[in-house]
Amino acid sequence: MRSLERLTLAHLWVAFAAFAIACFFGVWQMWARSPLPAPFVTPDNYFLAVTEHGVSMAFVLTTFFVMGFGYFTAETALERPLPGKTFGWIGFILGLIGAAMASYAILSGRASVLYTFYPPLTASPYFYLGLVLVIVGSWIWCVLMIVAMAQWKRANPNVPVPLAMFGTVANAIMWLWTTAGVAAEVLFIVLPASLGLIHTIDVGLTRTLFSWTLHPIVYFWLFPAYIAFYTMAPKAAGGRLYSDLMGRLSFVLFILYSLPVGFHHLFMDPQEPAGFKFLQMFLTLLVTVPTLLTIFTITASFEIAGRLRGGRGLFGWIPALPWERPMVLATGLSFVMLFFGGGGGLVNMGYGLNAMVHNTSWVTAHFHLIFGGAVVVMYFAIAYEIWPRLVGHEPSSSMPQRIQLWLWFLGMMTMSLPWHWLGLQGQWRRVAQFDYSNPIIAAWGPWVVVSLIGGLLLLASALLFVWNLLFLYRKPEAARLPFRFALPVHPVTHVPASLNGFGLWNVLVAFLMLAAFGWPIAQAFVIEAPHAVVHRVDRGG
Amino acid sequence: MPSFTASIGEVSAMTQPPISEEGQDGRFATRAVVTVIAIVVIAGLLGFVLIPIAQGQSAGLSAFQAICRSLGIQPGSPAFRQPSSATVAQPVSMVAWTPEVIERLHRPNEENGSDIAANICVSCHIESGAAYDPKIPHMEGQSAFAIYKQLHDFKNGARVNELMATIVQNLDDDQMADVAAHFAVLTKGALDPRTISSGDPDIVRLVEFGNSARGLPSCASCHGVHAGGPIETPTLSGQRKDYLATQLQAFAKGERHNDIYTRMRSIAAKLRDDEIEKLAEYYSAQLLFRPQD
Repeated sequence: MRSLERLTLAHLWVAFAAFAIACFFGVWQMWARSPLPAPFVTPDNYFLAVTEHGVSMAFVLTTFFVMGFGYFTAETALERPLPGKTFGWIGFILGLIGAAMASYAILSGRASVLYTFYPPLTASPYFYLGLVLVIVGSWIWCVLMIVAMAQWKRANPNVPVPLAMFGTVANAIMWLWTTAGVAAEVLFIVLPASLGLIHTIDVGLTRTLFSWTLHPIVYFWLFPAYIAFYTMAPKAAGGRLYSDLMGRLSFVLFILYSLPVGFHHLFMDPQEPAGFKFLQMFLTLLVTVPTLLTIFTITASFEIAGRLRGGRGLFGWIPALPWERPMVLATGLSFVMLFFGGGGGLVNMGYGLNAMVHNTSWVTAHFHLIFGGAVVVMYFAIAYEIWPRLVGHEPSSSMPQRIQLWLWFLGMMTMSLPWHWLGLQGQWRRVAQFDYSNPIIAAWGPWVVVSLIGGLLLLASALLFVWNLLFLYRKPEAARLPFRFALPVHPVTHVPASLNGFGLWNVLVAFLMLAAFGWPIAQAFVIEAPHAVVHRVDRGG
Repeated sequence: MPSFTASIGEVSAMTQPPISEEGQDGRFATRAVVTVIAIVVIAGLLGFVLIPIAQGQSAGLSAFQAICRSLGIQPGSPAFRQPSSATVAQPVSMVAWTPEVIERLHRPNEENGSDIAANICVSCHIESGAAYDPKIPHMEGQSAFAIYKQLHDFKNGARVNELMATIVQNLDDDQMADVAAHFAVLTKGALDPRTISSGDPDIVRLVEFGNSARGLPSCASCHGVHAGGPIETPTLSGQRKDYLATQLQAFAKGERHNDIYTRMRSIAAKLRDDEIEKLAEYYSAQLLFRPQD
């Protein structure tokens, strides 16, 4: 096996192992919350499961998948060896040690989502150090991606960077901006507090820094899905990408408008002025633009493919598409979940409507549908697409892959649509158990059981996914062909210089971040803010 | 709407070609900058000027005040002054968990603590913090915070006990912190309620889950192994049965009232006498010791 395949597979297997384990925790949580008698239910166990599920899914699955996919893309899209693979392995090992440390803290009951990022409460220092190591590992990845693109540009002056790589580096740059907030919070405030070096915390400042990271981190997870929409789906559908330029524009819009918007997580917080909450809400609204651009472009690309395959009439191109191919099917399913998840997101970002759904199951439903659904289904499709190149074998059949994707889609819809409904009824998130004998909430019970059924479908799909990767790829390849990304309808000979690099966008992000976060952070130093006494919950108070 | 089957060449001819002239680079960048600035200006006008002024009018704010408040540079919410009252809230406890107190409890003067313990406390609480008289509580397994709060409350009368009040009168805050830390260090850790071997299922349920229909939170939500309540929450596991029952009754009747926000008074008042007895028995049963670190 060659070095790129080894590096990519190592990352993806860590990601998918964490994913599979986290699915078990997820189903058990649904069971615990349902009226059905579940084993091992205590509040301690419930929150331990929530924390391990969340950290595995949101930090381990995503970070390792993004890194592995990035390494793969850098070498295949640029068609030259990835520089500094040794550093890639160092980043991998740092991330692995970090994930193990965080898991140790969680499983030993010293870090729970109830207090890890709710200052002045602090968890075990191992948890924070673990996160820092994962982030440092991902920074190494960012640097390698930027260096790979810079070297390629030097070797190919005046040639547009391949779209897949442009998207990957856009994500790396966005991630560097993103992690600055939580890194500052953890390194300068929370970790020292957790170690007992400082005894008071400015809660408002800490929460503001966390919100800096809280929204764009989601787009870091989402980027691979969008890269696949633009550079894999049109080819899988048998057509071409409608517009390469639209892809570049979407990627830079993600950098611009996913960053200065985190205050929609702080609408209920008192420390920030209302004007800045409004400003960030307004900018949040603009995050929909790259998504709408993408839906338009990919639908247009699919229409091209459908018509090339003989589709006629207004909608005749849709059935003409090769839905039996996992990448095409996953894109279609992803768009359906994006529709519902995105709609829910628009409600969350509204200053007024947010108050209705704040801290209810609605929020959990939203991020499961948009990340666990629309994004993760594309992670599956990407894995299916690049696996032949990684293991040197073709799948013997696409049927188990299609079953797996459909199960995931049906499971996610069955689980999360009732959650939206229950959220509107006022069902709280992060509550271990409900007393369904209470007539006020008795009617919630059946809907929670429906969600549990959805959870079981998801678990079945997750296990089938791992089985597919392990056992389906057994057919020898006819010939070892290089991996190819989708071609645009028009060969890209020239793009505006600003869409072939990130200089301009970094300046604009700096401007937007200054406008959105400048004073809200500065006020913590200008106006004397009240400090709260640190409570080291992992040490019993 | 034409219906057609197209070739890639035809599709290519029907869609717009990409931007291809060199001169457009600069124009694109300029437009991008202008657009981003325009968006921030529009959002700023709405968020910092128009909406605050419009909403401020109904709250009786001048335009200048409204804009300042939207920027967060003129604190003073709510918009109207609250009616003032001559009533002054009476704190139920004078303990303030300041960084200084916490620091002292974490890093006490050990010699001072053991001297005070040897000269004053051991006559009733013996050296380990245990007690023979059923009315006197064990201090085994308690945190320094829990012991300190009770000493402080005895001293200023928040908790009434003639004997203890007399004893602590001569101790200052640092001395109370030192002696509290002394007893906490002797039995670092807590007795683990999860190791109890048996118990009335209704009582176990009350301890672990509470009873939402009666508005009773679970005891474990604050007194559990990983205390989720206030830092001074005492350990109940292994405490004297008589002491626990007496204290719950005192809370229920309001005779003991050094619980902030009347937490224990409101809980104890909802408990039946037989539940108080059984809870006291549950927590006093022999449990396994769980070292803290």
